[in-house]
Amino acid sequence: MDDASSYSFPVRHKNFSVQIKESKVDIVICSYDDQFLVIATEIGTMGTIMHARKEEGMLNTPTFNVSVIFGKRDEPMLLACARQLIEHISNSGSSKPLTLSLGLKDHSMEILKGIVSAVIENRLW
Amino acid sequence: MDFDPHASTIESSSADDIVHDVQNLGIKEEASTNITCFSDVFNDIPIHFQIICFPKQIYAWIGCQTARFGCLYAAASTRPNNIVSVTSLLGGTSDNTGAGIARRIVLKTGVPVTLACNIPKDSPMLEAHVEKKLIQKLIILGYTKSKSQAVIS
Repeated sequence: MDDASSYSFPVRHKNFSVQIKESKVDIVICSYDDQFLVIATEIGTMGTIMHARKEEGMLNTPTFNVSVIFGKRDEPMLLACARQLIEHISNSGSSKPLTLSLGLKDHSMEILKGIVSAVIENRLW
Repeated sequence: MDFDPHASTIESSSADDIVHDVQNLGIKEEASTNITCFSDVFNDIPIHFQIICFPKQIYAWIGCQTARFGCLYAAASTRPNNIVSVTSLLGGTSDNTGAGIARRIVLKTGVPVTLACNIPKDSPMLEAHVEKKLIQKLIILGYTKSKSQAVIS
């Protein structure tokens, strides 16, 4: 293995916690070559996993596809959270899709807005 | 990189408001999730591993030569009889390389696993090597079936 000065792991990541209301949420953000991964959890598991991507089209305004690929499919606030983040990624100039994982006890708007704010503040795009 | 206040539907109207709100959230530097990253070489092929340990779940990524995300699989013990089930979440099918690795990690550790990997198909030696390296690291991190069963109980 090369020494630390010449070797750097190819995936950047950030790992931190944020206190929102009464909840301590652990957040991990990873940047792969072709995708971003964001995990926000307070329940010890990854929770509901969503995939969000920008759709290529002929329109001037971009459109986005957001879907649940694992977990709760009846929580629209989770999808809204993914939608906020993929739009921010797109507006930052990146076309990479996003895999977002939310393991939360509380799906209130305040919690989700706090997570979106914290992720944007510590973004890797 | 500046935040464009017009680019999002978040109600805060300026970047300063968002930063202020974020500061009031009390972001701490330390987190309770543990991230382990390491690399290996197999037949001159660089292999990268990333393991994120949650209290009740493991996320792992295996990158072969590149840092592409690859296909995403989920595996866990399910009813009846705690048989291990695996499903493809993004890309791939249940017959792909990552599915087998995810399934065997659950068998070894007893913990639900979400695995992303871009290992090419039809590379059994490479597959065996990366699985061995990943399991070795999980054991070093304290994941053995007896320990995880104790944690779960």
